[in-house]
Amino acid sequence: MAQFLEQIINGLVLGGIYALIAVGYTMVYGIIQLINFAHGEIFMFGAYFAFLCVTTFGLSFWVALPLSMAMCAVMGMLIDFVAYRPLRNAPRLSALITAIGMSLVLQNLAREIWGARWRKFPVEATPTVLTGNAIPLPGGAQVSFLDVFIILLAVGLMIGLNRLIHLTKIGKAMRACAQNRVAASLMGIDTNRVITVTFAIGSALGAVAGVMVGLREVTEPAMGYYKGVAAFAAAVLGGIGNITGAMLGGVVLGVAEALGAGYVSSGYRLAIAYIIMILVIIFRPSGLLGKSTATRA
Amino acid sequence: MKKNRVRSTVLLAIFLTTSAMITSFAFTGCETTNEIKIAVAGPYTGSVAAFGEMIKRGAELKAKEINTAGGVNGKTLTLIFEDDAGKDKEASLVAERIASNRQILAVVGHFNSACSLAGKPIYKRAGIVELSPGSTNVNVAAGSDWTFRNIYRDDFQAAFAAKYIKNILGDIQKVAVFFDNDDYGSGLKDSFTAEAKELGLEIVGIEAYDRDNTDFKAQLTSIKAKQPDLIFLSGLYSQAGLIASQAREVGIAAQLFGADGVDSPDFLEIAGDAAEGTYVTTPFVFRLDDPKAQKMATAFEEMHGVAPDTWAALTYDAVGMIVEAIEKGGENRKAIRDHLASITSPEKGYDGITGLTYFDENGDCTKPAYVKIVEDGQFVPAAEQMLGID
Repeated sequence: MAQFLEQIINGLVLGGIYALIAVGYTMVYGIIQLINFAHGEIFMFGAYFAFLCVTTFGLSFWVALPLSMAMCAVMGMLIDFVAYRPLRNAPRLSALITAIGMSLVLQNLAREIWGARWRKFPVEATPTVLTGNAIPLPGGAQVSFLDVFIILLAVGLMIGLNRLIHLTKIGKAMRACAQNRVAASLMGIDTNRVITVTFAIGSALGAVAGVMVGLREVTEPAMGYYKGVAAFAAAVLGGIGNITGAMLGGVVLGVAEALGAGYVSSGYRLAIAYIIMILVIIFRPSGLLGKSTATRA
Repeated sequence: MKKNRVRSTVLLAIFLTTSAMITSFAFTGCETTNEIKIAVAGPYTGSVAAFGEMIKRGAELKAKEINTAGGVNGKTLTLIFEDDAGKDKEASLVAERIASNRQILAVVGHFNSACSLAGKPIYKRAGIVELSPGSTNVNVAAGSDWTFRNIYRDDFQAAFAAKYIKNILGDIQKVAVFFDNDDYGSGLKDSFTAEAKELGLEIVGIEAYDRDNTDFKAQLTSIKAKQPDLIFLSGLYSQAGLIASQAREVGIAAQLFGADGVDSPDFLEIAGDAAEGTYVTTPFVFRLDDPKAQKMATAFEEMHGVAPDTWAALTYDAVGMIVEAIEKGGENRKAIRDHLASITSPEKGYDGITGLTYFDENGDCTKPAYVKIVEDGQFVPAAEQMLGID
């Protein structure tokens, strides 16, 4: 029982991280129907930015986190400006290929700058709140402060994002663009601005996930690929284009991975998660919460 | 008419001289140089790049020493570093590239067992020696006359580790194995579990992980529920470092015991405090009472600014062996192989800093294993060694 509870928590932490990345994929897809493969690399740069802030510049973790979010937001906007905006009216395949190219360029850039070595977030720089002893749970299980923090942070950010989309003017504009970009622009919405903001928000959330993975696991140039693919799968599982779906997809995938590794076969932990994804897609091609709209393409 | 012929003759002459000049220029560029080229293939990028870095440095030191001492038969030794990123697919491409470059006389490498195995058929077909300074998987050298290694095999290492745990660590009954799902990790796991069972240790859990993964908490939570006294880490230092720190986070207090894949200074960096007290088996230790090794270590630090590790030492010896084979055998691929294949007894063995290397009919060699422990954030030779137990 204790083990089961701990595995669920492991899954929720992973799920929270996947969800934070997945909303970045899904928001961009919702508005410009582009699978932004460079998003995984933004996540990786987020981890590196925070790592550099605390090591090279000696900043506190609580400064490094928002700073890394801001830097990634700028980076996301720049990528859109440089790589995607010129192709806005080109066939979708061109933009997709550009996204894959961008991902490779960024990954190799990181390897060039920081080397292939794994970087562990320095213990001294980790806030003492997060390194604290494990919290005991009923039934002999335990959970680390960091894992609790990651779950809470992910939930908080998801609620915040949900409120932003539904209560603010820019959120309304984003929803309008997602429904029909041409019509939205005819109604006087500056669609380019909306797209820029979408990239900024998605990238900032990706950066949070990057910092969390850097803190909990490790920072390295290929991390964006591995976690990025899983998060993309989570976005598809939840119904690509649907933000709540991405959150749900992330959690389902994370928990499936943890339980699969814990109870079925550890060598196939990702395979198990992907089999679940494939099964869902077979029976619900538009994902858990996606609406089937034939006119999207 | 005649004028035309004169002109064409002149043109032809000019053409011939120019082309002759170009060819001779090209020839000086590659054929008639005073160079001996050998390739050093290893993981210079990827998740185990710290191994590659040390391999490169070790090879560079040996090459520098050889060239300062007059080179190989009076020719300059040039190393060509080829990156396989620690992945078998990359290794096949690298092997094809090396094999098709006729100027390269031999290969020191690959490092990862999966890479050496991927390169083996390609090197065999091309007829070029592959001398690995780090691949320990049982099958690496067998089945090819062209593949050798200057390190022990995993069946020996695994048996050694199991005996050390049983006989020297004491009061260890329940053992869990956490292995990297590749040729090295799973081969070592098989040998280790077989030997441990035979010695009466109880294997309570066997979990796998994927090299690309960095989150091991799900598997560690399963391992924790089995309450092992010791976890055997059958994988490489980067994942092992994370496993060590995540094991402590999920509340596992068991003794950690790694194989030689964990033996890298970067393990200490990644694991942090969690590394403390971890044992590893290793093919080599720099002993203070070993003047040859100390001399190499000093020269290494002078050249690179850091202390050498096990893999730098083994690569240093592997380069030395190839050079000796070129000098004694001849400057072609076949002669190098024939010389290495003739080193079959201790008397003929190559006496490097990592001990005497000589091969059996497979190209495997018999070398001792040692045990290191992490103390105060440093790998040091464990107080109790187990030499002489086979």
